[in-house]
Amino acid sequence: MTFLCIALIWLTGFSIARFLFPAAPRWSLHSVFLFSLGTGLGMGTASCLYFICLALFGPSPLILAGFGAILAGAAILGGMTAKSRGVTLEWAAGPVTPAYLTWLVAAAAAMAVAMFVVLSLEKPQGEWDAWSIWNLKARFLFRGGEDWKNALSIQIPSSHPDYPLLLPSVVALCWTLGRAESVSVPIAVAFLFTLGACGLLISSLGILRGKTSALLAGIVVLAASSFIQLGAMQYADLPMSFYILATLALLCLQDRFPRDLRFSFAAGLAAGVAPWAKNEGWLFLAAVLLARLIAILRFESRAVLGPQFLRFAAGALTPVAVVAFFKFHFAPPNDLLAQKPAELAAHIALFGRWIITLEGLAKIILVLGGFLLPIVLMLGLYWFLVRFQVEARDRTALATVLLALGLMLTGEFAVYVVFPPDIITQLNVSLERLVMQLWPSGLLAFFLAANAPEIVAVPTHVAAKSQKRKPRGVAPKPAQPSMRLN
Amino acid sequence: MARHQFAVIALAAVALASSFWQLLDLFSDYTRASSTFGVASFEDRFSEFRKALPPHAVLGYLSDNPVNDPSNQSEFNLTQYTLAPAIVTPFIRQRLVVLNYHSATPDLAILHARHLTPLRDFGKGVLLCRNDAP
Repeated sequence: MTFLCIALIWLTGFSIARFLFPAAPRWSLHSVFLFSLGTGLGMGTASCLYFICLALFGPSPLILAGFGAILAGAAILGGMTAKSRGVTLEWAAGPVTPAYLTWLVAAAAAMAVAMFVVLSLEKPQGEWDAWSIWNLKARFLFRGGEDWKNALSIQIPSSHPDYPLLLPSVVALCWTLGRAESVSVPIAVAFLFTLGACGLLISSLGILRGKTSALLAGIVVLAASSFIQLGAMQYADLPMSFYILATLALLCLQDRFPRDLRFSFAAGLAAGVAPWAKNEGWLFLAAVLLARLIAILRFESRAVLGPQFLRFAAGALTPVAVVAFFKFHFAPPNDLLAQKPAELAAHIALFGRWIITLEGLAKIILVLGGFLLPIVLMLGLYWFLVRFQVEARDRTALATVLLALGLMLTGEFAVYVVFPPDIITQLNVSLERLVMQLWPSGLLAFFLAANAPEIVAVPTHVAAKSQKRKPRGVAPKPAQPSMRLN
Repeated sequence: MARHQFAVIALAAVALASSFWQLLDLFSDYTRASSTFGVASFEDRFSEFRKALPPHAVLGYLSDNPVNDPSNQSEFNLTQYTLAPAIVTPFIRQRLVVLNYHSATPDLAILHARHLTPLRDFGKGVLLCRNDAP
């Protein structure tokens, strides 16, 4: 029953994604994109529904099942009957991709799945944050009955009572409908988010930059053991990473298909769920709005600003309203924000805190992902050999991603300097996770900027033919003179 | 084209080798792992205690771990996780107190000094006490 519940949540998300971007029901890149995006949309929708039902009607499985059935039924009906229209997402034209690259992605995926399974067998209840925060809250919601608000009790400060409830709610929802507290639920949720993030990166890069870049990015993200571990340990940083990537990838697609404003709506939806996953989601929401504003003002006509921002706001409205309802009616104040202004000013004035944070950041970047060699050096080598080539049509997209990630890093840096009383402990326990939240989006930016590598010699007439292939549906923005960044 | 080939192969090789290496490490850890600490052992230790708890109890907590022992906080969190939806507070200022101890028997002198009266010993280092402090 619990697996049926999770399958239904995923199907609901997939249906919402398919309703937004309908395509012919066949195995295609478009379908992979929808499968991946559907994970986050389904989890976000189910989690918000559970929390609203709990807050308004109390812990009633019957009411929850009723509203769940209506929502899932409507989404599935809408998604499955949606006629193919508008954009069809296909591999971007580019150099021929060797077959072995597909096999290497399959090998990386198999090792990532094996890693996830071993970690889940070893620690089925996850690591520290899972049982101290996320699954603990899920237990309070599920076991607590009328006293579910004890999940937010300030008597348990170590559980961070103000933290949002995306993961706890979706886990408690499955337990409630499945009538059993199965340990497999948080594992399955974490697995779907991990898989979804990897699928989303590969499919969106495939659409934007072609098969070779997409598969290579897929290998790198799947081989990052600390990213897979973050998922298997059932931390909320992985869902956060999913929503950051989904938002930025959808905004990149918006720039590729400028007339189809559904991408902005879907990006708003994903960005709106981010603060429901972790408090950093608010920072991301502000960062992505500012980044988008700057990118459009710099590279696009101002006429696109209004329509895109309106669609984005429309998408973000519902999830942000749910999070605001939670924050204003239920959540106690955040422990870091509850400090006195004089203490915060003293933190800022301590130059050592700036240096410690910078040092921590530099160290993390060198060991990022848990690779045998520093991945930044490997990506540097890749850039040296392949070079960047930013097409004019991708400038707004790339500027949006880079600015959003830069603002996130700056914001997180400021949070470390200003807030935590014990900065060293705080850096040790959280900095790598926060940087890993940006890891898939960083790869999106890197491979979007990098030249599509040519690794197979192709006869001229075949290459010309492949370049002429036009995608179906609404035409993407035509490629214009590119900016080579050597 | 050779530069591109080298770039792709080098990046993919380092990524896959890293993943394989980490996987071997994990397998090795998994086969050697002992379950002396962690959620499963706490669920086992506290299973009887949890059944005896009044619904929605608020408990105090005391452990015989040294104050600066890093496992102190994790054991407290595991106790809270195991006993939810009861609330476990990280001090003993509650009517009922759960004692999480590691020695063969709890030190009664320390309990008395803290005005704690043992109510029931659940074995495996888990004891329910009443706080008689005024």
